[in-house]
Amino acid sequence: MTDSRSYLAIFADIDPASYALDRLRELGLSDEQMNVISGIPVTEAMLGRPRQWTNVPRLALGGAVGGFLLGAFLAFVAPVMYPIHVGGQGILPGAPSVVVLFELTMLGMLAATFLGIFLDSRYPSYTPKEYVPEISDGRIAILFECPAEKENKFIEAMQAIGAESVKPAEAQKL
Amino acid sequence: MPAMHNTTEQHEIEHLRQEHLMLDPRPRGEMNSMVMDAMLTTSWKFWVVFAVLSVVVAICLFYTWGYLIAEGTGVAGLTNPVYWGIFLVNTVFWIGISHAGTFVSALLRVFKAEYRRPFTRAAELMTTFGLAQAALSVFMHMGRVWLSYWLFPYPNERALWPNFHSPLSWDFLAINTYLLGSTMYLFMPLIPDLAMARDRSTGWRKTFYRILSLGFRGTEGEWTHLRAAMNIFAFAILPVMFSVHTIVSWDFAAAMRPGWNSTIFGPYFVVGALHSGIAAVAMVLVVIRSTVKNMKYFLRAEHFGALGMLMLIVSMGWAYFFFNDYMVQWYGGNKFTDALLHFHEKGPTDWMWFAMLILNVAIPWLTLWSKKIRSSPWALFFIGLGINIGMWFERFIIIPTSLAINFMPFTWRTYKPGVEIPLSIGTLAFFVLLYMAASRLVPLVPVWEVQEGQLAHTLRKVGKETIVSVAEME
Repeated sequence: MTDSRSYLAIFADIDPASYALDRLRELGLSDEQMNVISGIPVTEAMLGRPRQWTNVPRLALGGAVGGFLLGAFLAFVAPVMYPIHVGGQGILPGAPSVVVLFELTMLGMLAATFLGIFLDSRYPSYTPKEYVPEISDGRIAILFECPAEKENKFIEAMQAIGAESVKPAEAQKL
Repeated sequence: MPAMHNTTEQHEIEHLRQEHLMLDPRPRGEMNSMVMDAMLTTSWKFWVVFAVLSVVVAICLFYTWGYLIAEGTGVAGLTNPVYWGIFLVNTVFWIGISHAGTFVSALLRVFKAEYRRPFTRAAELMTTFGLAQAALSVFMHMGRVWLSYWLFPYPNERALWPNFHSPLSWDFLAINTYLLGSTMYLFMPLIPDLAMARDRSTGWRKTFYRILSLGFRGTEGEWTHLRAAMNIFAFAILPVMFSVHTIVSWDFAAAMRPGWNSTIFGPYFVVGALHSGIAAVAMVLVVIRSTVKNMKYFLRAEHFGALGMLMLIVSMGWAYFFFNDYMVQWYGGNKFTDALLHFHEKGPTDWMWFAMLILNVAIPWLTLWSKKIRSSPWALFFIGLGINIGMWFERFIIIPTSLAINFMPFTWRTYKPGVEIPLSIGTLAFFVLLYMAASRLVPLVPVWEVQEGQLAHTLRKVGKETIVSVAEME
């Protein structure tokens, strides 16, 4: 089994970072062995990276369905269980039920979307991670894993493209 | 000659840079420092104002509310037939204020209005704190606030159950949905800025930001999830925003009372909410720009000009709905409605009715057409203040003034507020106090959104003119 090492290459701009990703691929790394960390959202297209998967829209849809069902319970089941006769309206009037259904559907969707970020990003996570504070100052970091015996080749390649620094990625308390 | 051309072009470019934040980028580290400095540098004047407001809140809000709870709602001016008074005027007013935060942030995000970027956070904070005041006002109105859990649907031995056919129950659902939704919407784009603050803090602040930033680093996955969620929120929270004030309007419109039973109340209330809310955003931004360090870089004449334009358009919308509502009621010929309309115009609060029209329509129309005026922060502040006073008057006229006239003339009686006045002052002071506290704890400018916008903007030469070009980056 080959030993592998993690490195963090820091770039000042998006352009050299995108070239560096190409170079890492040329050196034999797969996209799964690299990750880009940045202070602003950089699209996959800009970096030539595969599309990132997110469950947030599906979770939002699930939340909307859950909210709708809760709304349906309050609008159609609860009034039958606890009937209140109001102003000659039927026990299950149409228009007022729409309001309850709408609000709870939206509440379910919004809450599930919010929770989706927590689930997909595994928040909160306070364990030490590979990170440098320069990232929030606008630097772009490429976190990559390379075979230990070829590490110098990878470091030189990153420096040749314009990396400000290439250092072993050490997990640190954020 | 070419040298002269170059000089003119340079001037043109320089002018565009000074005018537009998006064309005047600074290194991210410098912008971070500016925002952190703004948060950490606090003058003695800030603490004096903070202390005074704390005393006002303690006396006018908490002490007076305690008195109201101890003595009962008899110490308020509520009476038959005016059983809804300033508490509900304030509820509607604060919900209105809260509308603009979401409107500015979500709608402008959906329409990719780039000028929104530096002030979305300031507007979103208004939504959350405004809704908190609205909720407090509802609790004050309840009187027996310890029984507020009766609003929750749960089976109980007294067979009490909320009536879901009632607009008051819809209010409960809508306001809570909006409060939760807008708080989540405030928090999501804040996470990267909290991580930035974490990276630049020490001591208790480091711990505070570390906890709140949830371990955010800015990996591709984190940004993807965050952006997907923010897009869903931007689209989903808009109908919720419209529903909240529509449902608030149904509290009135669903009642068979002169002046209230109007089919146009929903959109009329929504436009009214936007009218006061956008004016309040402008006022808050002027105060932030004038009192918080480094904010002159982020908040420029272009932002006030754009908000002034929005205020003018919304003022026209409000005038349209007001006239529509007035016209149909006037034409209807119902003698009680006629009496009510005369009471508005010639009754004891007639000055409010005229002031409402002057402050909400005449002054904005006479001033905001001018780019010079609407781009001037303090001019916009005073126009916005006028609009907010005018919109508070509008809610006062709709609620206690209109309740004085009903279908039973022998019960007609005017409203004289009691503890409502100090409590209103208390909620206003509490809103400002919360905002001031937040300005010391939360980065007021979403730096990452500003930087993202600056990356997308470039200057392009078309023929002889240099124009601003925006790339689609999202």
